[in-house]
Amino acid sequence: MAEVVSPVPGAGRREPGEVGRTRGPPVADPGAALSPQGEIIEGCRLPVLRRNQDNEDEWPLAEILSVKDISGRKLFYVHYIDFNKRLDEWVTHERLDLKKIQFPKKEAKTPTKNGLPGSRPGSPEREVPASAQASGKTLPIPVQITLRFNLPKEREAIPGGEPDQPLSSSSCLQPNHRSTKRKVEVVSPATPVPSETAPASVFPQNGSARRAVAAQPGRKRKSNCLGTDEDSQDSSDGIPSAPRMTGSLVSDRSHDDIVTRMKNIECIELGRHRLKPWYFSPYPQELTTLPVLYLCEFCLKYGRSLKCLQRHLTKCDLRHPPGNEIYRKGTISFFEIDGRKNKSYSQNLCLLAKCFLDHKTLYYDTDPFLFYVMTEYDCKGFHIVGYFSKEKESTEDYNVACILTLPPYQRRGYGKLLIEFSYELSKVEGKTGTPEKPLSDLGLLSYRSYWSQTILEILMGLKSESGERPQITINEISEITSIKKEDVISTLQYLNLINYYKGQYILTLSEDIVDGHERAMLKRLLRIDSKCLHFTPKDWSKRGKW
Amino acid sequence: MSKLSFRARALDAAKPLPIYRGKDMPDLNDCVSINRAVPQMPTGMEKEEESEHHLQRAISAQQVFREKKESMVIPVPEAESNVNYYNRLYKGEFKQPKQFIHIQPFNLDNEQPDYDMDSEDETLLNRLNRKMEIKPLQFEIMIDRLEKASSNQLVTLQEAKLLLNEDDYLIKAVYDYWVRKRKNCRGPSLIPQIKQEKRDGSTNNDPYVAFRRRTEKMQTRKNRKNDEASYEKMLKLRREFSRAITILEMIKRREKTKRELLHLTLEVVEKRYHLGDYGGEILNEVKINRSEKELYATPATLHNGNHHKVQECKTKHPHHLSLKEEASDVVRQKKKYPKKPKAEALITSQQPTPETLPVINKSDIKQYDFHSSDEDEFPQVPSPVSEPEEENDPDGPCAFRRRAGCQYYAPRLDQANHSFENSELADLDKLRYRHCLTTLTVPRRCIGFARRRIGRGGRVIMDRISTEHDPVLKQIDPEMLNGFSSSSQTIDFSSNFTRTNASNKHCENRLSLSEILSNIRSCRLQCFQPRLLNLQDSDSEECTSRKSGQTVNNKRVSAASVALLNTSKNGISGGITEEQFQTHQQQLVQMQRQQLAQLQQKQQSQHSSQQTHPKAQGSSTSDCMSKTLDSASAHFAASAVVSAPVPSRSEVAKEQNTGHNNINGVVQPSGTSKTLYSTNMALSSSPGISAVQLVRTVGHTTTNHLIPALCTSSPQTLPMNNSCLTNAVHLNNVSVVSPVNVHINTRTSAPSPTALKLATVAASMDRVPKVTPSSAISSIARENHEPERLGLNGIAETTVAMEVT
Repeated sequence: MAEVVSPVPGAGRREPGEVGRTRGPPVADPGAALSPQGEIIEGCRLPVLRRNQDNEDEWPLAEILSVKDISGRKLFYVHYIDFNKRLDEWVTHERLDLKKIQFPKKEAKTPTKNGLPGSRPGSPEREVPASAQASGKTLPIPVQITLRFNLPKEREAIPGGEPDQPLSSSSCLQPNHRSTKRKVEVVSPATPVPSETAPASVFPQNGSARRAVAAQPGRKRKSNCLGTDEDSQDSSDGIPSAPRMTGSLVSDRSHDDIVTRMKNIECIELGRHRLKPWYFSPYPQELTTLPVLYLCEFCLKYGRSLKCLQRHLTKCDLRHPPGNEIYRKGTISFFEIDGRKNKSYSQNLCLLAKCFLDHKTLYYDTDPFLFYVMTEYDCKGFHIVGYFSKEKESTEDYNVACILTLPPYQRRGYGKLLIEFSYELSKVEGKTGTPEKPLSDLGLLSYRSYWSQTILEILMGLKSESGERPQITINEISEITSIKKEDVISTLQYLNLINYYKGQYILTLSEDIVDGHERAMLKRLLRIDSKCLHFTPKDWSKRGKW
Repeated sequence: MSKLSFRARALDAAKPLPIYRGKDMPDLNDCVSINRAVPQMPTGMEKEEESEHHLQRAISAQQVFREKKESMVIPVPEAESNVNYYNRLYKGEFKQPKQFIHIQPFNLDNEQPDYDMDSEDETLLNRLNRKMEIKPLQFEIMIDRLEKASSNQLVTLQEAKLLLNEDDYLIKAVYDYWVRKRKNCRGPSLIPQIKQEKRDGSTNNDPYVAFRRRTEKMQTRKNRKNDEASYEKMLKLRREFSRAITILEMIKRREKTKRELLHLTLEVVEKRYHLGDYGGEILNEVKINRSEKELYATPATLHNGNHHKVQECKTKHPHHLSLKEEASDVVRQKKKYPKKPKAEALITSQQPTPETLPVINKSDIKQYDFHSSDEDEFPQVPSPVSEPEEENDPDGPCAFRRRAGCQYYAPRLDQANHSFENSELADLDKLRYRHCLTTLTVPRRCIGFARRRIGRGGRVIMDRISTEHDPVLKQIDPEMLNGFSSSSQTIDFSSNFTRTNASNKHCENRLSLSEILSNIRSCRLQCFQPRLLNLQDSDSEECTSRKSGQTVNNKRVSAASVALLNTSKNGISGGITEEQFQTHQQQLVQMQRQQLAQLQQKQQSQHSSQQTHPKAQGSSTSDCMSKTLDSASAHFAASAVVSAPVPSRSEVAKEQNTGHNNINGVVQPSGTSKTLYSTNMALSSSPGISAVQLVRTVGHTTTNHLIPALCTSSPQTLPMNNSCLTNAVHLNNVSVVSPVNVHINTRTSAPSPTALKLATVAASMDRVPKVTPSSAISSIARENHEPERLGLNGIAETTVAMEVT
C-alpha cells in the first residue's frame, strides 16, 4: 500500500499489503517457479543503486516491473518504492543488490504489483479524507510531519488495508475478480520473459501483455467489477467501464496496468530540447521503440525520424501555437486553443503533456477543454514553455485541469506564472477557482508556493487603519485572489498563520515568514501583468457544444 | 494547550481575522490548537504519492527553511537543451507581429500531406529520380493518398492508379515500394496515428487508445437532431452537386458539339471552295436532303395543354350554376314542376358505367361539376345562352383565355370514342373510363366526354377527352342533352328533378332529344348535365325562386330549412370556391331584394313545390316550406351525393327524401325520415316561430348522411324575419356551404352532437358571407349570399337558434 510508508520500506510496508491480499485465491505464479532458479522476475524487490541529487549513492528498495533483454544484456525496469514513478528506469544487472532480493510470494504477488505506491489502484477520494484527518493533526507542525513519516503511516496502513478486507471477505466474487485481474497483470509481465530474445522485446512484450489482457473475454467485466469496487471505495461518479467524462485527471487507477506504469518513450526531441519523459504516453505504439521521438516544435506533430521532421518542417509554417494570442508581455505570450476546434494540436499537446503528468488521462477527446499555451518568443518563433488546460465548463470550480511546465523550463518561475495566469483568467471571469485534483507532488508544491506568496502578499499589504489592527476575512482573500476559499484556508493552515487567540481566530505573521516571503518575492521576477491580458470569457453553457 | 477546556468555534470565512505581526504577536503558547476546529484541508494529492520520499523531504524542508534548498528539490529526469542542429532544422526567422496573433479557424487546414518522407524514402526517391523527376512532396502526396485510402486492406494497384494522377510507371514503382514498406511497418499505418477506439468497446482498456469520443453523456438528443439535419443537408448538397456535374457535362458536350459544328462548317466552306461552289448551288442541293433529315430529327414541338384538352375549371362556376339552378328550382317550382324532372334528368346525365347506382351518383356529381366545367371549357366559344351573371364573370380568375400567339391544336380524333353510335357505345365504356358525356349549362353545350376531378379548394376540374364525335356532340348538345337528361332522369330516378329544373328550354329539349336519350339509356351511357337552370331565364326565374324560397321561409315564420349537408366527400363534389361566390355577390344581392319583394309569391311556389312531395306535411305552408326545402335540399343532397359512393347516395337520397323531394330519382314520397318530419312538423306546428331546420348529413364511415335535423325555432315573427333571415341566411349558408366547401365540410362531417353543430354554425357565421353559397331560395341572403347553386342547400334554413334533432 502506498500509504504504508514505513521507515524500513521493505518489511514494514509489505505486511499490511500481504495481509490484505492473501485472501485471494492463489494465482499461478510464474515468478514462484522461476525464483528458485535465481531468476530476477517481475515483482521482485531488491535494493537498487541510485545516485541522488547530491551525487551520493543510495540503495533504495525497488521493484522490478519488467525485464527485457537487449542483445543478450538484461535490463530491468525498476520502480523505486516511495519515489515518484518519474524516476523509474531501466537498470542493468550490476545495480541490483541481489543479496537482498525478495521474491514475490505466491500470495504476495498481488501485493507486489499493487505494492507500488504510485500505481496501486487508489481510492483517492475516500482516502484523501482519511489522510486529511491524519495529516490534519500532523501536518501543520513540522515536527508532526516527521511523525507522519513514522507513526501516521502505520496508522494509515489500517485504513489503507481496509478497502481490501471487506472486499475479500464480504463477497466471494469480488476477490476473485480482483485476483483475476491481478493475475492478468502478473502474468502479462511474465509472458515477455520467454521472448527475451527479441531485440526490441520490451515493447512487443507490452504489446503481448496487452493482447493477453484483451484476449480474456471476462477481463473487461471483471475489471469493471473491480472498477465498481473501487468506485464504491473512492469515487462517487461510478462509471465502471469508462472513466468519468469530466476533468482531465484520473484519480481512479483501475485502468492502470503494467503498460501504463512504465514509460514508453525514451526521448522526445522538441525544438532545442531533448526531453526524457516521466510517464507513459499513448503515442502510436510503433513509435515507442524509437530512441528518439521527434516533435515539431510548433505544431507538436510527432515524427519517427529527423528526416521526417525535416520534411514536416517544409510543410508546416506554424511558428506559434495555432490559437489566438490573448496575452503578451515581453517575450511571454499566452495562446488560447479550443480543444474542439483545433483537435490535432490539442491532441498532440496532450500527448506531450502526458509524458510529464502521471494522472493526466487521455481517455476522452479534447473537446471540452481550452488550452492556454505559454510561449517564449525568440527570433525562431513562439516556443512552448508550458501550458494549462481548462474545462470550458467546470462543475467543480476548477480553473485548471492540467498544468505543466516543460522540463527544460522548470524551476525558473514559469510554473508560477502559469498558475498566476490561470487565476488572472478567473478574475476576469469573476469566479474563484482551484486546480483539478489530484495534484502531483510538483503541482502541490507549486500551488502551495503560489498560494502562500499571493496570500502573504495581501496580508502584508494590509495597512492598519486608524491605529487599529488590520483585519481581513477569508472570503475577502478569496475574492481578491480568485483562489478558492478552501485553498486559502489550507494555505493559511499550511503556513501556520491561523491561530485561536482569546476566543477568536487570528492571523499571525511571524518574522521568519515575512522574511521568507520577502526573499521569495525578490526572486519572483516573472509576473503576469493583467493589463496585457486581452481575454473575454465565453459562456460555454449557452453553446450546444464546447 | 492545557487550558483548552473549551472547543474552538468553527472557522468562519466571513469573519474578519485580525492580523498580528512581529512583536505584536501574542505568545503562541497561548494559542489554542485549532486542529479540531479548523478541518484540515486535503492536499489534493493522491495519498500514496503524498507520502513520497522526495515530496515529504521537500515539504519539510520548506517548512523548516521557508525556502527551497537546492538539495531539497524533487528530482526529475534530466532534459537537455542542446540540440545543435536546431538552427538548421528550423530555418528562417519569425518576426513577432505587433498585433496579437489571431488565427483564422479555417486556415489550419492546409492541403499538405500528413506523410513525411523518411530517409528510406529518400533513397527510393533518389533512385527514381534517375529515370524521372519526382519531388518529395509529390511522393508524400502519393503515399499519403495510398495510406488514407487503405485501412486494414491495402489498396490495389488498380485503385492506386485511380487515386494517383501520375505516370503509370511511377505509380507502379511507388506502389510496390509502399506495399513493401507497409508490410514491414510495425504500425497500422505509415503515418503514425493515435489508436482509435473501436465501437465494440474492445478498446476500452487499451492504454494506447486515446481521445475517445464522449458519446454517452455528452451526446444529447439535440446533437443527434443536428446530425440528422446535417445529414439531410449533406444529402441534398450531394444531390445538387451531382446535378451541377451533369449540367456541366452537358455544357461540355454542347460546347464540343459547337466546336464540331465549327469545324464542319469550315470543312464545308473549304469543300465548297474546292468545288468552286461559289454560288451555293451544290450546297443547296445537299441542303435539301439534309433538311428533310433534320425535320425528322427535330423534336416535336411543344403543345399547349389544350392539346390534351385538359382544362382546369374551377368549381366555383359550377356552384354558381347549381345555385342558380336550385334557386330557379325553388322559384320555379310552381311553374316548372313539370319541367324540373327533365332538367334534373339532364343534370344527372348519362354515365356509361354499367352500375346503376354508381352511375347515378356520378351523374349527380357530375351534374354540378359539369356546369362549372362547361362554363369553363367553353369560354372561347361564344355561348349562345349566356346569362348575365355568367357573362359578368364567366370563369373568374381561372377562366380560360386564348393566348395570343398560342397555337391550339385540334383534338386528335383517332383516340376518340364513338359516343353516340349504338354500336360504338358499348366500347365507349372501356375507352372512356370515367369520361362521360358532359353538358355545360352556361354555354349550353355538350362538351363531349369529360371527367370531373376535384382540385384544390374544391375546384372542379374537367378533364376532357376528345372523340370523333365531338363536332356532332357540339351540335347536338344544348338541346339534346336536356332531353336526354330529363329522360334519363325519368328513367333512372323517379322524376323528382323535373320540377326543380324544369324550364322552358328544358321542355323543348326534351322533346327533341328523347330518342337520343333512349339510346343512351340502352347503352347505359350517361350524359352529365348540370341541372338545367336555364340560366337565360334565370334572372327572373331565379329571383322568383329565391323569393319563393324566402317567402316560404318567411311564411313559416321561420323557414324550416333542411339543409342536407354532405359528408365531406360529398361536399367536395359541389365545392364552390369563395371567389366565385364573391363574384356573384352583387347579383345575389339584387336577387335577394327581389326575393324579399316576392315573399308571397314564394308561398305559392312552395305550394307548387308541395306537389313534388307526396308526403307533404299537413299544413300547406309548412308543407310548402318543407317541400321547397325539400327540393332545395334535394338538390343539395344530390350535389352532395354526387361524389358519394352509390349506396351512400341512395341512403342519402332516402334520408333526404324523408324530408323532401327525392332528389336522385328517389321518389319523393318514398323517403320519409321521421326525424325530419317530426322536425318539420314541429316547425310547422309553431308557425309563428321561425324555425330553421338544418338537416345535416354528416358523413360517417357507414353512411354518408346522418341527417340530424337541426331544428331551430326562432321566436321571431314574420316582420322580424328579415333581420332574422340574415342570420338565418348565414346559418343556412353555413350549412349549405359546408357541403360545398371543403373546410366547412370537415366541420359538418363531424358526427357532431348539437353543441358541435351549433358551434360550427356559429363559427361559420362569420365566414358565411364570403363562403356562403347562399341558398338563394330559402335564405334571404343579403350581402353575403351568392345565389349559387348551393343555394339549394341553404334552402329553408333561416334560423335564429339551431337545434339538433
